[in-house]
Amino acid sequence: MASNFSGALQLTDLNDFITPSQECIKPVKIDRKPGKVGKIRIEDDGSYLSVNDEGQETRLEKAKITLNDCLACSGCITSAESVLITQQSQEELYKVLKENLRLQETGQAEQQKLVVVSIAPQCRASLAAKYKLSVQETAAKLTGFFKKIGVHYVFDTTFSRNFSLLESCREFVQRYKESETNKTALPMLSSACPGWICYAEKTHGHYILPYISTTKSPQQIMGSLVKDYMATSRGVPANLIYHVTVMPCFDKKLEASRSDFYNDIYSTRDVDCVITSVEVDTMLQQEGISLNDVEPVEIDNIFTQIHEGQLLNHAGGGSGGYLEHILKYTAHNLFGQDVTQINYKVLRNQDFQEVTLEVPGQPVIKMALAYGFRNIQNIVQKIKRGKCTYHFVEIMACPSGCNNGGGQIRPEGEETPKELVDRVTATYNSIGNSLPDSLKTVVDVYNEWLGEVGSEKSRKLLHTQYHEVEKMTNALTIKW
Amino acid sequence: MAQLKEVCSFDGHSDRAWCVAWNPSGTLLASSGGDKVIRIWGKEGDNWVCKSILSEGHQRTIRAVGWSPCGSYLASASFDATVCIWSRKEGEFECIATLEGHENEVKAVSWSCTGSLLATCSRDKSVWIWEVTEDEDFECASVISSHTQDVKHVTWHPNKEVLASCSYDNTVKLFKEEIDDWSCYSTLESHDSTVWKVCFDKSGSRLASCSDDKTLKIWQEYLPGNTEGVVTTGNNPTWKCVSTLAGIHDRTVYDVDWSHVTGYIATACGDDCIRVFKEEDCSDKNQPSFNMICSVTKAHEQDVNSVCWHPKIPGLLASCSDDGSVKLWQYLEN
Repeated sequence: MASNFSGALQLTDLNDFITPSQECIKPVKIDRKPGKVGKIRIEDDGSYLSVNDEGQETRLEKAKITLNDCLACSGCITSAESVLITQQSQEELYKVLKENLRLQETGQAEQQKLVVVSIAPQCRASLAAKYKLSVQETAAKLTGFFKKIGVHYVFDTTFSRNFSLLESCREFVQRYKESETNKTALPMLSSACPGWICYAEKTHGHYILPYISTTKSPQQIMGSLVKDYMATSRGVPANLIYHVTVMPCFDKKLEASRSDFYNDIYSTRDVDCVITSVEVDTMLQQEGISLNDVEPVEIDNIFTQIHEGQLLNHAGGGSGGYLEHILKYTAHNLFGQDVTQINYKVLRNQDFQEVTLEVPGQPVIKMALAYGFRNIQNIVQKIKRGKCTYHFVEIMACPSGCNNGGGQIRPEGEETPKELVDRVTATYNSIGNSLPDSLKTVVDVYNEWLGEVGSEKSRKLLHTQYHEVEKMTNALTIKW
Repeated sequence: MAQLKEVCSFDGHSDRAWCVAWNPSGTLLASSGGDKVIRIWGKEGDNWVCKSILSEGHQRTIRAVGWSPCGSYLASASFDATVCIWSRKEGEFECIATLEGHENEVKAVSWSCTGSLLATCSRDKSVWIWEVTEDEDFECASVISSHTQDVKHVTWHPNKEVLASCSYDNTVKLFKEEIDDWSCYSTLESHDSTVWKVCFDKSGSRLASCSDDKTLKIWQEYLPGNTEGVVTTGNNPTWKCVSTLAGIHDRTVYDVDWSHVTGYIATACGDDCIRVFKEEDCSDKNQPSFNMICSVTKAHEQDVNSVCWHPKIPGLLASCSDDGSVKLWQYLEN
């Protein structure tokens, strides 16, 4: 089975393409009932019956491995993929839409789910590049498409990225100030890439996790916006909202499935389902329509980076621009310096670049972009050996960053992967940039939803935590 | 009849001996094993003796060792998922770096011809290329996930920055640096089971590979525009299997070494036997004929794991085995 995950995740796959039923070695928790152990009988249909001394028969439950078991296990990762396919795909979205239709038809409309789709700007660019449309057109056509199949709202995760960027900037400055007393305050490592997070948790644990920014990714902040802010302000219970994100990356499905993003009160996830650019394209094909022919509909502007009808972006590249925003914010807030031009110095390869901030009379600040597994390795090893000289590193698992995510549409015909990524990047960069706090809606939502900057609520809703996965040592897995 | 005459036998490893490797000048032989130590053997007067024991570098079996072209460094690959770099100064070895990154057992290690690159491979299915920096630091230059299974061995071309690897996925792969990263440009498919080892001949235009399918295969490189009319794509050469030596080895062939001095090929086999092959005079490079010119049955008490020709002395061969012994052999005509 070919894996869609990023290289970092594929490497953490310890065993050889296994499915959970075959070779999964995750111990399953069994609720033991007191009393003597009886016999177990296997029925013709393959079910198991426990027979006690009195001859009473009880059907035994099948042990099931959930995605969460997979995530908390240091074993294979490919099995998590097959679990994912059953839990997070366009089929699930179709199921919900179909159920909504049935409820409508049977007069139970009040039980319908409010279906929300939040689209990442990298996916918009991927689809725009495939169908040779502008970003603006693609946004309208995607909105038209999703609304036609029964989706109620379409948003843009550039909007939630405002919060992620603002919060990362503040977190960095705070960590910088703490760095004299707290050894793990710096370097701060970015947290938006789920492939990187999963890899760090599974293989580097406590050496690396304290350095990772606790700020949530744009996807998960959108999750909180929809399931907390929107749910509350509209008086809709969170579990009656079905929130789908469209992401450039398969690993985002793992992120959405983390128990940290599960709401116990409403038994719902902040993001219920993640579909990738490729899967959206598959949906279009299933519906038998080209994106070019979809009737455009204006995107919902509640949670969208839009000003006077024009969609906007953030500066600093297709992976979100964390480095650029943090550097500018730090220069301004710590040194009273406004940086307009940032000079990236390419190091070992295009995916490893550094930036130096030199303000006379101030300590030099160094930041780096490290994309792709090989560059992550060097950063991680340097940190482990106490030799990392960077203050902040924007880490992404995919070479070339998110525009080249594993969920993006593949090249067709003569076009090489590199040419396509360049075209997607050009499309991504084709709209104007905005500052994360430039929109009035951002400021309003922040104030109304979270109160003051740095409030308890903002800490709770905009930050998360990481968990070390203990390594399994299983003698059975040794091969010469 | 030609023969391999046993020169000497060293007992030292308290567990399986996995690998033997001569330093480039041929003055030292390194061996490694399940006892987690590296032994360095050298000649004192007329006798071969153990000159150093390198311990405390690894937590588990040391599967392979490799010398840098300058002979000043020895790299060791271990099942503890790390690679140690040992620096040799005034006869003393010191571990100067531990390379971490592989997810699990590291199976092999190889230095490029210039000594500026190091390749490693692992059960985690990946091949890593490390760049040696000026201050003896090692930085990861590439992680290549091209094989679909455990990678058993990696070896560099004798004079180019081209890397060959072989795997449990039955293939041999060749890698080179493209625009910004290393990538596989050729996959050699012909073996029916795990390929344990691959090695270049002196020219680098031929490869020998040995496998769990009990065969030894010879591969020929055809450059673009070759006179034989072998189809190539782009600037890349095509590698073709031009000879398969079957029906000779009774068990898995674990190692093969193609002497850059004599052109002889030695194999290490699970049937405890060492065999030597020679190409027929005036054999056609497109259909070469190799003959077994000698073999030693029961060369070791158990599986022979590794063979290595001396880099200078014609016909001097080192071998090691699951029985823990390391032996030296001299090839003699008649």
